[in-house]
This record gives sequence, C-alpha cells and structure tokens, in this order.
Amino acid sequence: MKASLEINGRTCEIDLDHSAAQIAAVEPGVYSVLFDGRSYEARIEQSNGLTVVLIDGHRFEVEIHDPRRWSRQTGPRGAQGRLHVSAPMPGKIVRLLVAEGDTVTAGQGLLVVEAMKMQNEMKAPKDGRVVSLAAREGATVAAGDVLAAIE
Amino acid sequence: MFRKVLIANRGEIAVRVIRTLREMDIATVAVFSDADRTSLHVRMADEAEWVGSSPSSESYLRIDRIIDTARKHGAEAIHPGYGFLSENADFATACEAAGIVFIGPSAESIRSMGSKTAARQMAIAAGAPVVPGAHQPLSEPAEARSFARQFGYPLLLKAVAGGGGKGMRRVDSDAEIESAFRDAASEAERSFKNPDLYVEKLIERPRHIEIQLMGDRYGHMVHFGERECSIQRRHQKVMEECPSPLVAARPGMREAMGEAAIRVARSAGYYNAGTVEFLVDADGHFYFLEMNTRLQVEHPITELATGYDLVRLQLEVAAGEKLDINQDDVAWRGSAIECRIYAEDPYNNFFPSPGKITRLTRPLGPGVRLDGCVYDGWTVPIDYDPLLAKLAIWSETRERAVARMLRCLREYDVAGIHTNITFFRQILEDEEFRRGNLHTRFVDEFLDRRRPFAPPPDLETVAALVAAANSTANAARTANAPPPRSRWLDTGRSESLR
Repeated sequence: MKASLEINGRTCEIDLDHSAAQIAAVEPGVYSVLFDGRSYEARIEQSNGLTVVLIDGHRFEVEIHDPRRWSRQTGPRGAQGRLHVSAPMPGKIVRLLVAEGDTVTAGQGLLVVEAMKMQNEMKAPKDGRVVSLAAREGATVAAGDVLAAIE
Repeated sequence: MFRKVLIANRGEIAVRVIRTLREMDIATVAVFSDADRTSLHVRMADEAEWVGSSPSSESYLRIDRIIDTARKHGAEAIHPGYGFLSENADFATACEAAGIVFIGPSAESIRSMGSKTAARQMAIAAGAPVVPGAHQPLSEPAEARSFARQFGYPLLLKAVAGGGGKGMRRVDSDAEIESAFRDAASEAERSFKNPDLYVEKLIERPRHIEIQLMGDRYGHMVHFGERECSIQRRHQKVMEECPSPLVAARPGMREAMGEAAIRVARSAGYYNAGTVEFLVDADGHFYFLEMNTRLQVEHPITELATGYDLVRLQLEVAAGEKLDINQDDVAWRGSAIECRIYAEDPYNNFFPSPGKITRLTRPLGPGVRLDGCVYDGWTVPIDYDPLLAKLAIWSETRERAVARMLRCLREYDVAGIHTNITFFRQILEDEEFRRGNLHTRFVDEFLDRRRPFAPPPDLETVAALVAAANSTANAARTANAPPPRSRWLDTGRSESLR
C-alpha cells in the first residue's frame, strides 16, 4: 500500500509494503524502529490535528492523506479573507492596543498577553480592519481562544 | 539540630531542600498555592499547608501566612529557597520575632547587600575591585574626559536616575564625548526628568563569574570556588559551569577572587550561604557586581565539583553549629555543567510553553544529577517561572563533561510542552563554546550564527514510516473498540440500586 503524506510541509509518497523497517510499539506513544541496520527511537505527539514525530530531538509534522478516509479539510484561508488571532497559550490579557474597527497593518501589535511572568504582544497577521475583538483587559484566556479577527 | 523545617518555596528548589532534610531525618513542612496542590514538593513533604491563591503575592510572598503555618506545624526553622522571600529582610525579621530560625544571613546583611550602591560602597571599603566609575553627577563633559585619561576608553555615560538602557551612551574617544554627553543628558531629562549623568568604565564582552561562600555565626568563612554563568538569555542564566574555563587557565585567580569575596562578605557581618558576583574582562580582571544573600539556583555544580551538600551546611550553620571546614579542606575535582531545562520554545523566541506533561523520560547513568519538580501527567502552571528541572552532570574534564551533557540531553524527553533541550545541544556543539570563549552576550551572538537544527536525511523516512504505522495502529484500535454501552444497561444498574 502506498501512502501519501505531508512531512514538514512537503508532500511525499512512501511505500509501506516494501519497507524494510521493523517497527515495534514499546511504550505508549514510543516506537522502536530498526531500519537499514540502525536503531531509532521515535516518539509521537498529536498537535492541532497533526501527528508530530520526534526522533533524537528532531521534529517532523506529518499529515497522512488516506484516500479511503477522504475528508475535505479547509486549510487556513488566504490573506484575502478573515484571519483570526488566537491565544497560543493560557494567560491573561494585560493590555489592548487597538479597538474594534481600527485599521491595522501586518505586524502591528493588537494586544498584550501575560503568561508565566512574561508579556507577549500578539501581532496582526495581515493588513486590514479589526472586525471583532473578543479580548477584554484582565480576562483570562485558554490556549486557542480567538482573541481578534482581522479582515 | 532542628526536628522540623518549613520550606517557604515551591518547584525544584523545594524538592531539593526536602531531599537533604530527609537525609538528615528532619521532618518537612511544605506550603502551596491553589496552582500547586498536586505539585511534587507537596507530594514529597511530610506535612503540607495551603497558603493562598495562585498569584505569588497571595501565597508564597505572604509573610503572615507562612509564619502562621510554621507556628501551627511546630516548625523550628524556615528555608526560603531562592526567589520569593529569600532576600526579603522583613521576612528574616518576622521569623526572628516569631522565634523561628531563618535559614540564611541576618536581616541586616540582606538589607545592606540589597542596595546596589550601598553594596558597592561596602566592596570599595573592603578593598574589593569594583568597575571604575564616578557615581556622583558630572557637571560637564570635561570631567568624563579626565576620567578617560585615567581609566581609558571605552566608557559609558549613564543617567543617575536611569534604568533600562535609557540615558546611556557608549563613548570610544575624546571626540565623541561632547555629543554623547548632550544626547544622554537630554534623553535622561526626557525619560526621568533628571539630566544628571555619571561615568563608568565599560567592560566589553564581560564574563559573569561568581564565588560561593559559606560562613558560620562565629566569624569563620570559606569559599567553594567559582561558577561561570556567562551563558544567559534575556539577562537570565541558563547554563553554568564549574570550574570556569577562564579561571581554570589562570593560576591564582580562584584564590584571589575567593579572598576578595570573603572580604566583602565579612565587612557585612555575613553568615550562612551567599554568592558574590563579579564581572570579569578578557584579561582576567574581576570587578565586584553584587552579592546574592541566598542559595543560588546553580549551586549543584559546586556540590558536584567539591563534594559538599550546601543545603546541609546551611542547616548546620543556622542551627548554631560551627562550620567544620577549613579553606584547605575544599578541593575541586573534574568539571561540572548545569543546564536549566525550561518549559519554553527556543524556536519561537523562547516563548513560555506551560501545559500538561504527557510523557517523561529522564537521563540516567554515570555522573548525572537531576533536580526537578516534574512528573508524568503534571501540568506546568502558568503562574510561575517555567523552570522544570536542572540537569547537572560531572566528569573528569570539561571536554568529557560536554560529551556527557550531550549524551544526557539526547536521553531526555519531555512530551506535551516545548522545552529548550535541543537549544542546549546546539550550544554544546558550538565551536566558541567548546573553546571556552564565553561572555554574557554569547547567546545573542550564537543565535545569529547558529545553523538550523537540521535532521540527517534518513530520519525523515523513519518519521514517515512511524507516522503511517501509528495511524494504522490507531485505526485498528478504533475498529476493535467495544461498541458503545447501552443506555439500558446503565439505567438497569441504577434502578437496581434504588
């Protein structure tokens, strides 16, 4: 069986049947791989729907295109559409730098999130207008919460 | 010796202190905030008490609640760890007033070393070298010129009321003084409403090297040599080593720094553990920077190189015992390195990465010491410094220590969050690091020259095969999973219990 997959953003095909690799699940999420006379340890993490494979500290984001389970996934919409800014980690909104309706340029600071004693400025992903601003000063946010939308 | 000690701290340092207390057969009392109910220090202690909500101002910094807890549990002494209340003179005073021993120096010593200017005056009086400078305001640029004639260029003009680099100008020659003076003064006026400037010699690419001290209450004090802490990111140390490659190459330098550090500490009537920090230039000249009146984060490398347990010595001195070590007893063997493992993403500007640890594999084997607070399934709280563990190793030589640290970092796996483990691997592979050419701007310069952490080509194939195998295994698991339970079954069960 051939599988088509995307690895760190590049598409490639791999023949699973003719592979000489011996893969053994040794611990939850950990595989021991013997391939071409060498021994590898690979660890699996799931992150935002992607499979992340870690080998010797190197990180591979893999997306498997299984033709039997075809799902029409919508990728991130282009710079023409609406782009959301979401919290990369749990934290607290300490300051808003823009208001709804403001025109912003790509890279402009929108708001400041504090987590683990560090303040981080969230920046506009593109030129446009702030169509919604869900964040309030002082509010606690969870990872993935949408804070603002730019159109 | 004490029978029960409270640890007014959290995280890895609370765990580290508990370990020595347990070896000394002393009972331990932990304190914790809302965020730390399931943290390792609470799990390990003999007794534990909640002291407030997650913000440290409401818990770990609450002097009143911590003293009350010590009283309630009958703790005779409090170990403050580092950070939080460890350098708070009011806390030391409050302990004394409550009849509880503060495991550290006197409140007076903390206070006198807490002010940078007072500490500098004390160092000068004790005959320790300080960065040459005139800390009175300059009345005109000509004064800076005569300073330069005495101490040479480059020099630094700094705002008296300053901070954060505002009102500061580097000057490399006589010709630059007038304009630099004008610019710095007007910037200082705008930023601080005070145009006064002073002048200081600029130490270029300085190293940060510090001396560990321990003294008893009877005036006896010894030093435990140096730690080099020049590897810093955002002005915070991330990697330390003992001996310093610079000091190791210069006979007599350790002794000279040690004696200077002891002179400064003595003049403050210092006892217990303390560290004197120095800036060191490329020629090995060292200048007093400040004194930290507590146990340092990076103390394990001194313990590895000298064989002493500094926390045990702290406890003995605090209990009124004499320090039973002479300077000649302290000897250094081999080379020790520490890496501070943080929950942060080195590929995204060291952005903090709290969250749940989903899997953990620790480095083991010869010469390894791990001081951590992490366990499989623990959620790193967002409320505190994201230090997960300190990985410290020892080997016979610096070269072997670097190899051992690399080996350990390859064994170390923390899943579910980002860590700086691969970042350390890159630094340890760096030629400049290997040569021992360290300075406090090392990490910034390294970030500019580092090559991407690129995988060897075969790894990509292996990753693809594993991802495919994992997806097949998941599909099989889903297919073999038992059918969903019938609601009727649940209803029947609960009915029968009525």
